[in-house]
Amino acid sequence: MELTLLIAVITTITSLLIGTVLAIARLSRFKILNVPGRVYVETARNIPGLFWLLFFYFVFPQFLPFGLGEKLNAYPGYSVIAGIIGLTFDNSAYVSDIVRTGIMGVPKGHIEAAVSTGLNRIQQIRHIILPEAFRLVMPPLGTRMIHNFKNSSLCMVIAAPELTWAIQQVESITFRGLEVTLLATFFYVFIAFLSSRFIIYLEKRMRIDISSITQMRT
Amino acid sequence: MDGFIELGRFLFEQLLNWKFYIVGAYPKGPLGGLALNIILAVITIFIGFFIAVLFGLGRTSARKYIHYPCSAYIDTVRSTPLLMILFWFYFLLPVAGFRLPVLWSAVVALSVYASAYMAEIVRAGFLAVPKGQMEAALSSGMSRLQALMNIILPQAFRMMIPSFVSFFNSHFKNTSVVYIVGIVELINSGIIISQRQPNRIFAVYIFMGLLFWIVCYTLSYFSRKLEKKLGILDYESYKPEIYREDLVLVPLPKAVKRLMVTQK
Repeated sequence: MELTLLIAVITTITSLLIGTVLAIARLSRFKILNVPGRVYVETARNIPGLFWLLFFYFVFPQFLPFGLGEKLNAYPGYSVIAGIIGLTFDNSAYVSDIVRTGIMGVPKGHIEAAVSTGLNRIQQIRHIILPEAFRLVMPPLGTRMIHNFKNSSLCMVIAAPELTWAIQQVESITFRGLEVTLLATFFYVFIAFLSSRFIIYLEKRMRIDISSITQMRT
Repeated sequence: MDGFIELGRFLFEQLLNWKFYIVGAYPKGPLGGLALNIILAVITIFIGFFIAVLFGLGRTSARKYIHYPCSAYIDTVRSTPLLMILFWFYFLLPVAGFRLPVLWSAVVALSVYASAYMAEIVRAGFLAVPKGQMEAALSSGMSRLQALMNIILPQAFRMMIPSFVSFFNSHFKNTSVVYIVGIVELINSGIIISQRQPNRIFAVYIFMGLLFWIVCYTLSYFSRKLEKKLGILDYESYKPEIYREDLVLVPLPKAVKRLMVTQK
């Protein structure tokens, strides 16, 4: 159960980082950054997450040099690591799409204002574009993260010992499938409910800032 | 370089297995493979749609005894992983006395899952139809049901089409989850082949991914085209409320803001 939460939290953070970097890369003018980003997003988005989990568990270790693959296969915790990698790979493509729409939604005037106050490109992204973009896309981003939390249940296919895997084990010993499923469902619904409340709270807190900006403008 | 040539050969070998990837053991056994994925997605979307219209409209109802059960259903299903819903029906159907093949529990679970998500799409589309339409229909003497069927829903459905297509895309990917209860769809057939040829595992996975990619990419390509064609019908009002409030530049007093949020 803790592992479910751990996987969800880690993948949330990593996919936010990777997704943001990807989103910026995809919006850049340089083809070296632009094209690989697009290829990655199209690949990751058009193939189910289950596939990526299996891929990173079974196939990926074969490519590692110096016999690292055999070592990984022998390491009992690799299923969790493969789960985290696979979920991040799947999720960050969606996150990058969401963040990209957010960045495109930032008013042009703000960026022009940033340029005219003498900020360079990185400072613009860091101080002006990203904060505004994240505020714009907070609701879809939150939905995506809850989705990611739910997808962590897929990790059971590679035998990562998280909640769904655990209830399967209990079921195979006690044959009480319905009861354990009910219990796990309660857990998932409860966590999803809490996180959706948290996202609404975050949204409200952040929205105060935007309204103060509009106040200044008028 | 040698590696690439070998990989090419392995991939070509997988082409000889194409039948198992696409239809499973079909003529001699049950249907499987990619065809099963597509059929499952289409059937469950179709069943889910009817449930979704009921629950989605129920959620917009002003009567509390309709509104709350519908909201509870939608929110519960939406916050449960598909895997859990699958296990639910996998264990529940035999207990309830249905002795059906496992495939049916997958069909039921997928349609329940689809119905909750589509109910939200239906609700958003319904709310996006301007209020004046309903008022005009009522004042021209239609009953509420008539107005709903003839005026509101046709407009709402037109607005929902792009969302439905993109949901179909993600639902198609979700159907791969049913492999866990032992149904031989694309992923499971790939796993079966890779167990027979363990040294070809990479080629098998690439082939499997390629099949998924082709179907999903075509779908998303068409959905993007559709969105360009239809989606702009009334895009402003299809946005969620959060955006609509931001459009107001003049700072509003708190009481007015509260009204805007509660007025759905």
